Amino acid sequence: MVKVVFIEPTGGEVELDATEGWSLMQVATSQGVDGIDAECGGSCACATCHCYVEGEAADQVPAPSEAELAMLEHVVAERRSNSRLCCQIKATPMIEGLILRVAETQS
Amino acid sequence: MFSFDPYSPAVDADPFPYYKRLRDEFPCFWSRESEMWVLSRYGDIVAALNDWQTYSSAKGNLMTELPNRAGATLGTTDPPRHDRLRGLIQHAFMKRNLESLADPIRDIAKASVAEIAGEKTFDFIEDFSAKFTVRVLFAALGLPMGDETTVREKAVLMVQSDPHTRAKGPEHIAAYNWMQDYAAKVIAERRKNPLNDLISHFSMAEIDGDRLDEREVLLTTTTLIMAGVESLGGFMAMFALNLADHHDVRRAVVADPALLPDAVEESLRFNTSAQRFRRCLTRDVEMHGERMREGDFVCLAYGSANRDERQFADPDVYDLKRKPRGHLGFGGSVHACLGTAVARMSVKIAMEEFHKVVPDYTRVQEQLPWMPSSTFRSPLKLDLAVA
Repeated sequence: MVKVVFIEPTGGEVELDATEGWSLMQVATSQGVDGIDAECGGSCACATCHCYVEGEAADQVPAPSEAELAMLEHVVAERRSNSRLCCQIKATPMIEGLILRVAETQS
Repeated sequence: MFSFDPYSPAVDADPFPYYKRLRDEFPCFWSRESEMWVLSRYGDIVAALNDWQTYSSAKGNLMTELPNRAGATLGTTDPPRHDRLRGLIQHAFMKRNLESLADPIRDIAKASVAEIAGEKTFDFIEDFSAKFTVRVLFAALGLPMGDETTVREKAVLMVQSDPHTRAKGPEHIAAYNWMQDYAAKVIAERRKNPLNDLISHFSMAEIDGDRLDEREVLLTTTTLIMAGVESLGGFMAMFALNLADHHDVRRAVVADPALLPDAVEESLRFNTSAQRFRRCLTRDVEMHGERMREGDFVCLAYGSANRDERQFADPDVYDLKRKPRGHLGFGGSVHACLGTAVARMSVKIAMEEFHKVVPDYTRVQEQLPWMPSSTFRSPLKLDLAVA
């Protein structure tokens, strides 16, 4: 299990145990985190699981693929340098402690 | 001894008691009848969907695969080829790029429902949803009208399987071949007279400077037509069935159509039309005390995952307030359904217009005639009585 923290748009902090190998979108939606729409189901096709990655572990997250970068152009909330689509980040020991601030709007 | 036969008419009609035993007692089960492993718990299926390197789609994704199709479509390729193919198509299916279709879809819904106005009983499928879905597909793909009844018939047949031989029957293969010929004609026409539409772009697209393989163009187009007609139709029929059976939910969404999206999501979970897809293992995997071997096929039973009490409280209740996040009604991960946005939009608009004309209805048949299919689940006929 990998510990990650989601901060919901309303400010609520949810610490989760993520199963290794799962996408962080699936970790969040399967455990009821608010504010992630994930309309496309995790195929990097909708830009509605937008989060800002924070904390020391943010540097350990593998860089976004070209497909994710292209899709990040479609996010509705402000795109920042730490914007990511959480369906494209896998739970691995490397990202232990990662904080994901869920974008305030998704669509 | 417990057995699970995805070809059995009993499973077509009601897979849920089987799924419950699979989840509780045999979470990694060898189905002799279908010669594959069956995973049924939500967590195991999500893990498999994330691990596409181990659970490969390249040997086919339909439980009973159509000949010569594996490796040539989005659902039957693995990354990176899959991602490149999908990249050529998916912009057309993004929500923001579908907005121009909303008005034409609403016009189609209004015209389709006008044909049943005043009827006391009707078949929701033949008299409404079949007409609606095929017209929507033709509008979305810019196909010439005239063949729509046959296209629908063939799409519905090609996803079926024979419960006795546990394989595709000659009529299913013939329908598949017919659909390929139809797709080939559309592709040839678009190449001759290109339009600014999906099939024109796709049929002339290149990946890294190479033209797409002809089989990829043909079978991906064939699959898009099949999914556009059959999968959308099945999803809509299951939604109508849920609303006919759950009067409280129907009254709520008729009174306040803004609740329709919640009812749709819960319907995707509760009565998933894409019940089961399959993968092929690229290495040995041990799970729940069983050893699955490289080369074995594995069924991912989405319909069971969506009823897993480990994930969803009171899973056998159709609950409008549930908002079932993370359900697998469209599959998940890299191979999640390409048409999620157009499917959600179409069904919402169709039912808004349907309810303006038919706000109160009940199911007529006690027993429904279920489609014989190892992959999909929906009734072939759904008679409704206007209350």
